[in-house]
Amino acid sequence: MRQDLLLECKSIHHTFGNHHVLYDVNLEILRGEIVALVGPSGCGKSTLLNAIVGTLHPNKGSVLLYGDQGAKRVEGPGRDRGIVYQHYTLFPFLNAQENVAMGLMLDQTSLAFRLFRWPRWRRMRRDHLCQARELLERFKLGHATRLYPHQMSGGMRQRVAVAQTLIMKPDVLLLDEPFGALDEATREELQRTLLTLYAENCKAKAEGGTPPYTILIVTHELNEALYVGDRVVGLSQYWDWKGAGLKTSPGATIVYDQVAPVYQPEEDRNFDLLLEQRNKIREAAFDPNFLQDRYLFKKFWEQVEQGRGGGILS
Amino acid sequence: MIRKPISRPSSTVLGILSILCLLAAYHLLSELQHRKNPEDTTIPNWGQLYAGVRQTMEANPRSGERWLLVDVKATGSRLFLGLFLGMTGAILAGLLMGCFGAFEAFLLPPLSLLAKVPPTAALAVFFVLVGTNLKMFVAMVAFGILPTLAQTVYLSVREVRIEFLYKASTLGASQVELIWEVIVKTVLPQLIDAVRLQIGPAMVYLIAAEMVVGDVGFGYRIRLQSRLLNMSVVYPYLTVLAAFGFGMDFILASLQRFMCPWYERHSR
Repeated sequence: MRQDLLLECKSIHHTFGNHHVLYDVNLEILRGEIVALVGPSGCGKSTLLNAIVGTLHPNKGSVLLYGDQGAKRVEGPGRDRGIVYQHYTLFPFLNAQENVAMGLMLDQTSLAFRLFRWPRWRRMRRDHLCQARELLERFKLGHATRLYPHQMSGGMRQRVAVAQTLIMKPDVLLLDEPFGALDEATREELQRTLLTLYAENCKAKAEGGTPPYTILIVTHELNEALYVGDRVVGLSQYWDWKGAGLKTSPGATIVYDQVAPVYQPEEDRNFDLLLEQRNKIREAAFDPNFLQDRYLFKKFWEQVEQGRGGGILS
Repeated sequence: MIRKPISRPSSTVLGILSILCLLAAYHLLSELQHRKNPEDTTIPNWGQLYAGVRQTMEANPRSGERWLLVDVKATGSRLFLGLFLGMTGAILAGLLMGCFGAFEAFLLPPLSLLAKVPPTAALAVFFVLVGTNLKMFVAMVAFGILPTLAQTVYLSVREVRIEFLYKASTLGASQVELIWEVIVKTVLPQLIDAVRLQIGPAMVYLIAAEMVVGDVGFGYRIRLQSRLLNMSVVYPYLTVLAAFGFGMDFILASLQRFMCPWYERHSR
């Protein structure tokens, strides 16, 4: 087992009634990676994400998080896994600064503490809000600390949502189609924000430290997956399950897992260079007429061993 | 133009104009009635109304009571106590039903049934169960508003997006904190709206009960004076009731603006 292994999905199977959703999903994520999870609509990307968050218990299999104290099985939501949804991530009754400070409040104090040790809580609150403001300024949102979610643009909301999650320093940050509803310019800006976090990972690794941000991003946009991810994982129900000896479709499984080119935040986005890999992913994961052996395009670990990964994989 | 907003001064002027129209219509009706019968008390003129107001505020020669004072005291205490108990019960029941499946299964069927029974029709039941004293009026108001209010709170809680709860869980919230910090704070403005909507029905239930079995209070006085065709007392009482309802609504709306500054624009 690799020392830098952070998260492992072990043979996850899940069905909703008679509808088979996930079949034998195995995924290992290394500390500091940005893994982009792609797949056709309804293939179970969000189901897999919910299993990792702990809000869904798969019928079979488990999710393990590795830390200093060894492996820990995910049983429910916890502060070690942060999530940003496409919608409904920010609490509408809190302004940007309070939204970001919410995690610190919930994590460091109890309701009884806040009610009965009010003077101490006031002091802590000031400190929490100060930390939240600093993080928002880092995300270029210093001017928006007092704005409520409905007063912010979609891009601002998602940046606040990322800050809200990152202030907790989660082991893994899960993004469920976070930029899906945004315009192209805002989307690009947020993609560059993720690349900035990845650059910090690379710097930390180069200095012998632990990369601080591990991200799993679910997206249906292939260019985005290849641009922000150092690895692309394709989940799909279109694979040769008959060839695997099964009589009915068992659901989606991982049919593509390969390294992706690593971009610097300031680097130009040239999607033409990604054409070949994009077509390959489209064929492997999105084409219902192309039913291949599910291991055919799973070459990530081979590629890492061959030194073909960039960024923190190099 | 449909939905084209108008300026605030125009809106204020139109509002004042509508009240003036109402007063003018009343004046006209009263004048016409008094031309037919100068002693008429069914549509009193302004002088008769003034006398009626004085009658309610001055000590009664026989009982020594100031009607308005004793009636405000009696009806107010019944209404506030009933509203407080009904609201507390409804909010608690609604929250529990919205959060926990077991409470939903246990409480929703009886509350759905009770919400369909008009409390005024069940007056005899309250009369038999708790007598005709303060308890009856309080019970009438509390149980009158509880089923509907509890269901409204329950539906608001159910509408809280599950993503908010998941999100708060990943931020370290306990179950109690999920209820207090996320659910209650999210539904608070709808909760205040629901209470605002229940003030009217609560007053209806109470006045109806006072009309039937009361010996003091707004309902009792209105019934008594109506039978005597003493409308110069009835109309001021109705005005006080309207002002009370309007005042309560204004206070709650202000409370909502103060406690939930995010809500007004968010809900548009």
